Amino acid sequence: MPFTESQVVLRLRGIRKSYAAPVLRDVDLDIAAGQVHALIGANGAGKSTLSRIISGLASPDAGTMVLSGEAYAPRNKAGAESRGVHIVQQELNLVPTLSVAENLFLNRLPHRCGVLRRRELRDRACGALAMVGLAGTVDPDTPVSQLGVGHQQLVEIAAALSHDCRVLILDEPTAALTDPQIDLLFEHLRRLRAAGVAILYISHRMDELRRIVDHATILRDGDVVCTAPMNHLTAEEIVRQLTGKEIQRESHHCARQRGEIALQVDRLSRDGVLHDVSFEVREGEIFGIAGLVGSGRTELLRAIFGADVADRGGVHLGGAAEGVRFREPRHAVKAGLAMIPEDRRQHGLLMPQPVLSNVTLGNLRRFASWWGRIRARRERDSAQHFCRAMDVHYQGLDQRADQLSGGNQQKVVIARWLLRDSRVYLFDEPTRGIDVSAKATVYHLLNELAGQGKAVVFVSSEMRELLEICDRIGVMSAGRMTAVFRRGEWNQEKILHAALSGYSR
Amino acid sequence: MAGSSTKSRLHFASLILLALGWVAILGCRTRSESPAEKQAEKTAERPRIALIMKSLANEFFSTMAEGAKRHQAEHSGQYELIVNGIKDEVDVTRQVSLVEEMVAQEVNAIVIAPADSKILVPVLKRAQAAGIVVVNIDNKLDSEVLAKNDTRVPFVGPDNRAGARKVGEYLARQLKKGDKVAILEGLRTAFNGQQRRLGFEDAMKGAGMEIVASQSAEWEMAKANAIASAMLSEHPDLKALLCSNDSMALGAVAAVKTAGRAGAVAVVGFDNISAVQTAVKDGSIAATADQHGDKLAVFGIEYALKIIQEKSSPEDKETPVDLITAETFKEASKAPSK
Amino acid sequence: MSAPREHRESSEPMRASRGGGYRRVAGEYAGLVIVLIAMVCLFGMSSRHFIRVQTFATIANQIPALTIIAVGMTFVLVIAGIDLSVGSVMALSASLLGMAMVDWGWPVWPAAAFAVLVGLCCGLANGFVSVWFSMPSFIVTLGMLEIARGCSYLSTNSETKYIGEAIEGIGAPLAGIGLSPAFFIAVGIVIAGQFLLSRTVFGRQVIAIGTNEQAVRLSGINPVPGKIIVFAMAGLLAGLGGVFQASRLSSADPNAGIGLELAAIASVVIGGTSLMGGRGSVISSFLGVWIIAVLQTGLAQVGATEPTKRVITGIVIVVAVIVDAYRQRLGNWRRPLRS
Repeated sequence: MPFTESQVVLRLRGIRKSYAAPVLRDVDLDIAAGQVHALIGANGAGKSTLSRIISGLASPDAGTMVLSGEAYAPRNKAGAESRGVHIVQQELNLVPTLSVAENLFLNRLPHRCGVLRRRELRDRACGALAMVGLAGTVDPDTPVSQLGVGHQQLVEIAAALSHDCRVLILDEPTAALTDPQIDLLFEHLRRLRAAGVAILYISHRMDELRRIVDHATILRDGDVVCTAPMNHLTAEEIVRQLTGKEIQRESHHCARQRGEIALQVDRLSRDGVLHDVSFEVREGEIFGIAGLVGSGRTELLRAIFGADVADRGGVHLGGAAEGVRFREPRHAVKAGLAMIPEDRRQHGLLMPQPVLSNVTLGNLRRFASWWGRIRARRERDSAQHFCRAMDVHYQGLDQRADQLSGGNQQKVVIARWLLRDSRVYLFDEPTRGIDVSAKATVYHLLNELAGQGKAVVFVSSEMRELLEICDRIGVMSAGRMTAVFRRGEWNQEKILHAALSGYSR
Repeated sequence: MAGSSTKSRLHFASLILLALGWVAILGCRTRSESPAEKQAEKTAERPRIALIMKSLANEFFSTMAEGAKRHQAEHSGQYELIVNGIKDEVDVTRQVSLVEEMVAQEVNAIVIAPADSKILVPVLKRAQAAGIVVVNIDNKLDSEVLAKNDTRVPFVGPDNRAGARKVGEYLARQLKKGDKVAILEGLRTAFNGQQRRLGFEDAMKGAGMEIVASQSAEWEMAKANAIASAMLSEHPDLKALLCSNDSMALGAVAAVKTAGRAGAVAVVGFDNISAVQTAVKDGSIAATADQHGDKLAVFGIEYALKIIQEKSSPEDKETPVDLITAETFKEASKAPSK
Repeated sequence: MSAPREHRESSEPMRASRGGGYRRVAGEYAGLVIVLIAMVCLFGMSSRHFIRVQTFATIANQIPALTIIAVGMTFVLVIAGIDLSVGSVMALSASLLGMAMVDWGWPVWPAAAFAVLVGLCCGLANGFVSVWFSMPSFIVTLGMLEIARGCSYLSTNSETKYIGEAIEGIGAPLAGIGLSPAFFIAVGIVIAGQFLLSRTVFGRQVIAIGTNEQAVRLSGINPVPGKIIVFAMAGLLAGLGGVFQASRLSSADPNAGIGLELAAIASVVIGGTSLMGGRGSVISSFLGVWIIAVLQTGLAQVGATEPTKRVITGIVIVVAVIVDAYRQRLGNWRRPLRS
């Protein structure tokens, strides 16, 4: 290990954690006082899990942690904070109805016999806000909900900074910040570093890492693959370490006849989320979309489908000259689009309802008489047919959807859209959290749809599966489509470069 | 399957709860029945009389019902009594249902204090058609609607108009001619409410008072309090509030106190419920009328029994109404000491 | 991969219509029917005069208004809404019915149609306001509760309007049968409601909206018309309830239906419809109405005191809701099937 014994504040040994699959395997990590330590990794490499374990939000399955020479096993976030370990998470954890000052000192409001001491609170809040450069711009008494996302992020950082901390974890702190705000944050981090605080810094942004980070640890699939001083690592080296060896297996891809343009997306924009995204998909083509979490992939599909309304640009369907922006999903459905949403529990399934009504939702008219009576036999036969086609494992059409496994639930959602017979299918992370055999079914289906001349858009966080089955891959980065590769042109390094490129300013 | 057995266990549990509730009711009932009465039930078929009251949450009616139960306990050999009420004054529909249910149970007589003077008429006519003796107490059925339905229901009870006039005249003696007064009416749909208002008006007009406001507080204390407060601030020179029942009078007294005009504004009520007796004694309520509420139901029941026995043609029967003032209580307390 | 096995017996909220349906349907209602029969037996044991045809005919003629309002309420609860205004809307349409017949001299049928229309308008207003302004239906219908009650007092000048024989036809028992036309209409509406909820596109969409509105929207269905129609239906049925009520009382009572919304919600919930939406049955609501009505009548016949009545009614409602909650939890206990 590169640090001397006296420098190490936090020492992790053999940390192991698995949810459905192993997420961290025997991770060792040393974090030194007075250093900014970067944690780098692709989606699902285990960065967030590791930071959650250190900050007490999750507990490891195995392994030990030592903080300043004493055993450290926080039960929860408060336990970690009492030992001086603080985290600023990506998602905001502020109480929107309370004021900035109250949020800053939520768990230690100054009071006398339970009565809030407003003046003291205000003074302390001003001090905390000064640390992130908001002293003049934000009044500590404004409710948090009235602040923009950037300011909220800064308030959250200020809350962490205002503690006496020994270890500070920052998970993508700059995602919503402007350049001057970032400069200010870095200035403060340098001060903390000088004061001997150990900082664990998680970010995708190469240029930022270069500016502030002393030491970097690279995670891949739950393993530490490299740990070295930052100035020893080149950008190429980092990407090489992130990807590991190239996977050559392409068994799922089949050659297909490509037809006319089925879907053309033309400079689609949604303020703050999507910026001038353009691409086209042909009939019989599988178009993959890669990108980091939060790069705008889900937002892109939702904007195409009309689940969110785009601000500018539009989509052309079937080579139409006129572009449209759908205002409601039902308009998109009418035009021949289908979307399998990312969050199947929230947005896809009727959880406590039987499989039958989950499959036929949206197509009921097909089985109904003119006045709306459902012809039960037709409905059941048809639902059964498509469930068989999707190889759904269930006890019967009357079984409740929430009693199915994740993979079978996903198949039910897909079966719903097969019943509808659309021209363009948008799949948002259809393989997330499902088992291997269900994944194989999904891959098979994507190929089959393309083989029937449908256009398929396939978003995934798993690079491997994109490489295996797509004809082309577009890469999203910070709300932009930064590159489109053809099969044969791509390799993992190029795609990762493109996925990171949007974040450099 | 584990699920279905748990489910049936739950149904079973709810049944047990139901049964427990049952035991509770039966417990309440048997305690009120004497052994002698049970004996009587076996030997002779006594006439069954249903007493259908208005809200038993209102003390006036619960006193009336208590009086009837006491009377039945004393004369348990003569008749059987079923007492029912409704949850509040305006639940007329339920009262209609109660009449129908009692008809279905084939009681011999129904003694009823109607919550509405019109709505009850058709259902009572149907009860009569089923051969049941119907006696009207407390709130007189609307004569026009009775006529339209071509039916007669004997009314046993006080003349509310005359009673209210008595109270009004007593009040008038304490006021000056031309003083401003206001009336708090009962439910406008109720006949006795209308009668009491008319009685108050008779007395006030006769004595030359000016009635500046007359609103319904629907028999309720809280509403009366709100309306009286509004009247007091609207008319700063108001001298008296005439309330169509005692609950409303108590609400009005509170409003007068809150307005800081105790002593300057006189309040009168009607019914002489026990809660107003202290108020009458200390003078915060000037007068009320006693229509012998505890006996009203008994009068009705006795009259019903008489009709059953004699098969007589039913006529209205008036019961006494007495004026109650602070002096009444003084005399009452003197009387035994003499 | 194995072929899907044919469905075994299970207790889904949404009934499939085919294949061994009778046993499952019987299972669905068995609990309520047992409770009902048990209540009748208990009342029969404690009152000599309870178990006879006339008692049940009396109850049947009492419940049409509550029944059809409970039908409307079932749909509203299934979309995870609530309608507190039904009692007031019923009083308003009854009052306007009375006004039309007494003051304007209208014949009975146009006046009844007018009353139903008034109810429909109130329901439409509830639906439009709550959907367009995305306000919770609790608040919107609470407003309507006051508005409709106020209008009914205004239109009748707070006085009961006696209408007389002209209106009695619907609510009075038919000679020889002992049951009123209103009861038959109500039973017809219950059957139609159950059919609508379980066998039609509309019903399926209503259940889907109550389960997961987002999923419905993302599968290309517009949830807005469904929601508005459900509130409109509840209003329309409350209006018809007003007609039944006026007919039974031969009068228009502006005080009618105070607290009726709670009785309707209680019946529907006793029937197992979930307040969280997505699950419900009209027939079960009808059984719930019977349970409440038998309870009320039985307690009156044994002469239970008013406080006892309220305590027992309260216990029955709470027990029913506990059973409902357990039934839902049972569903969640079942492990997902992994193959």
